[in-house]
Amino acid sequence: MSTDADLGTLLERARSGDRNSLRELIRALDPVLWRVARGQGLTAEDAADVVQTAWLELLRRLHEIRTPRAVTAWLITTTRREAWHRQQRARRDLADGSAVLDAAVDPGPAPDESLLTDERDTVLWRHFARLSERCRHLLRIVAQVDRPDYAVIAEAFGMPHGSIGPTRGRCLAKLREMLLADPAWASP
Amino acid sequence: MTARPPDDPLDDLDREIMGRPDDPLDDLDREILERIGRFDPPPADLDERVLFALALDDLEIEVARLTAEQFTGSGARASERTRTITFGADSRTVMITVVERDDNLVRIDGWLAPGGPLRVELRFPEPDPARTVTADEAGRFVFDEVPHGLAQLLVHGPDAEAARVVTPSLLL
Repeated sequence: MSTDADLGTLLERARSGDRNSLRELIRALDPVLWRVARGQGLTAEDAADVVQTAWLELLRRLHEIRTPRAVTAWLITTTRREAWHRQQRARRDLADGSAVLDAAVDPGPAPDESLLTDERDTVLWRHFARLSERCRHLLRIVAQVDRPDYAVIAEAFGMPHGSIGPTRGRCLAKLREMLLADPAWASP
Repeated sequence: MTARPPDDPLDDLDREIMGRPDDPLDDLDREILERIGRFDPPPADLDERVLFALALDDLEIEVARLTAEQFTGSGARASERTRTITFGADSRTVMITVVERDDNLVRIDGWLAPGGPLRVELRFPEPDPARTVTADEAGRFVFDEVPHGLAQLLVHGPDAEAARVVTPSLLL
């Protein structure tokens, strides 16, 4: 993720019609928006759709939103709201909503997930599943961005800006502790 | 020897309030985050789909949200398989049924509510030109022999001032 200053430049250029800057802006923000939508329990197809809807809504308001901080905050809030509505509808549409409710926790892959061919991955996700929901969600967002912009992530969680770094630190420390105590992780 | 950057008073304040600094990542942290990030990343084509959906020359738009999607038929013949998608905007509902043809193309049967002889546009990624049809009085329209891939529907308003109704990109 880019810094606010970079995003500000991209936003200004995108607003004046520069497609490459718009592309860069999308590339910088899509990973976080994707996790916000998936974190609400949406299927991959629904999440992709909701992310697009948020960008389309932004397009209409591009001239009202002046600062990069506002743009990221606005996109995250819109994605979360759209995802919530989509999720509510999915539940309503299902006679038996249990499948959707199960999916809504976003716990990461199950330990026997066939995607996990690597033994260390299996160990990692087993311990990951024991973290609090907030930790799981936060770490999965932070893991999607090279240089986390804590202001953006704070917005996604509705947390004070200054508490994201320390929370990330605590969540990582907890996971490290569990991993280092597990012989299966220590001796691959 | 590298010079230390001057202390940022806000960081000190954060430390005092939170009791824990934002520790720099070490190799193990990075390995953990890298492994977490590998699972369920955004689809490879998400950025392109967003960019395609946003490639509109006019920002007077009304966003239509996907409100229902239904698959029917599982017959061996492609033409027996259909997908019905409903998009809702404030001013109008757009329902389309995507029918698989036997020649690996699709037909789109659409319906606008409220109906009316409005221009309906089906956009494709460049360089393919958009196709435009006019719905009948009841709001029905058809696009036939449409290739698989990304597309986007735009419904023009009854007059030039009215906002166009725009869907997210569709993967046909």
